Amino acid sequence: MQLPKREDTQDINDLLSKLVERSKAITALLISREGVCISKAGNIETLNSTALAALVAGMFAATREVANIVGEEQFSILLQQGEKRHIHISLIGQRNMMIVVFEDYRRIGLIRHEARSISHDLVRILEQRKLSRKEDSGDISVPEFREYALNLIDRIFVVGEEEDASSGSD
Amino acid sequence: MPHLDPTEKQIVFKIVYFGPGMSGKTTNLLFIHKALTDKYKGEMLVLDTEKERTLFFDFFPVSLGTVQGYSLKFHLYTIPGQIFYEASRRIILEGADGVVFVADSSPDRLNDNTEMFRLMVENLRDIGIDPSRFPLVLQYNKRDCNPRLEIGEIERELDLYEIPVTESVATEGRGVMKTLQVVSKEIIKRFQIS
Repeated sequence: MQLPKREDTQDINDLLSKLVERSKAITALLISREGVCISKAGNIETLNSTALAALVAGMFAATREVANIVGEEQFSILLQQGEKRHIHISLIGQRNMMIVVFEDYRRIGLIRHEARSISHDLVRILEQRKLSRKEDSGDISVPEFREYALNLIDRIFVVGEEEDASSGSD
Repeated sequence: MPHLDPTEKQIVFKIVYFGPGMSGKTTNLLFIHKALTDKYKGEMLVLDTEKERTLFFDFFPVSLGTVQGYSLKFHLYTIPGQIFYEASRRIILEGADGVVFVADSSPDRLNDNTEMFRLMVENLRDIGIDPSRFPLVLQYNKRDCNPRLEIGEIERELDLYEIPVTESVATEGRGVMKTLQVVSKEIIKRFQIS
């Protein structure tokens, strides 16, 4: 079965929101292994989710290398304990991760339980998205996309006249 | 392959600045960050040591705007240049849509450049990328040094053909935006939905 786009976004947001509500977490984010934020819920105003996603993806990848060194394929959960805030990171399938930021460390058991309880549904929705990606992106005309994107690049990555470096500083 | 998300309506391409230690990768990113107006750029992360050498990576996102209803973004990364950070480099290359190889134009760094280029090719192959069919730009940086490598020397050492080449003095910003333009255009020209 293929979920309609709007519904499946809603599903992922709903699942993350439910986790935040039940566990009294501050924020929950779903990110890709490449460090792109896919969805977020909770108090998202105060956190730089783009930077957080890039850093956590790097951190998780580094941990995978650590796991290999000690003879594990990967660690599926990472926990960062701070003074006031803590982060619970769990692997969602092979290509995604869920980040939960929370304050009361006594709730770690609840966080872990809630994260585990929605991970299966997240994997299912993400798998469906992957299967229907080509069809869902049918609204993109590749030649036009390329043309517009190249225009934006020319306009925004501006090369000034003084840019020529071939003559060095002489 | 870019992160194409029809649900969230975003397309994110990843560009990695690769090269030997102290060749100017972070300097490239710092200049781009400074040159772009605020509405196009996000905060820059610099993860370095006290000796100003990149420890893990530098990163910042660029949002170019909306194309056919999709938010078009580039995520720019650098790798740590020191030879012993092999694992970090491989991690950062994963998911890359294009690479700028920042070479140091000092003649005494020719071997560092070629050694690091070979490592990059190896790393790309390890993650299933064929470097000959991949957006790759060779930037001769530090063109203000004297003496300096001739354009073509690195390619000759590595038997490289038809690789786009740019020249730069990243500390002054010369050639930096040009390089970014070249690599991002190479990426867009190859864009397909799969």
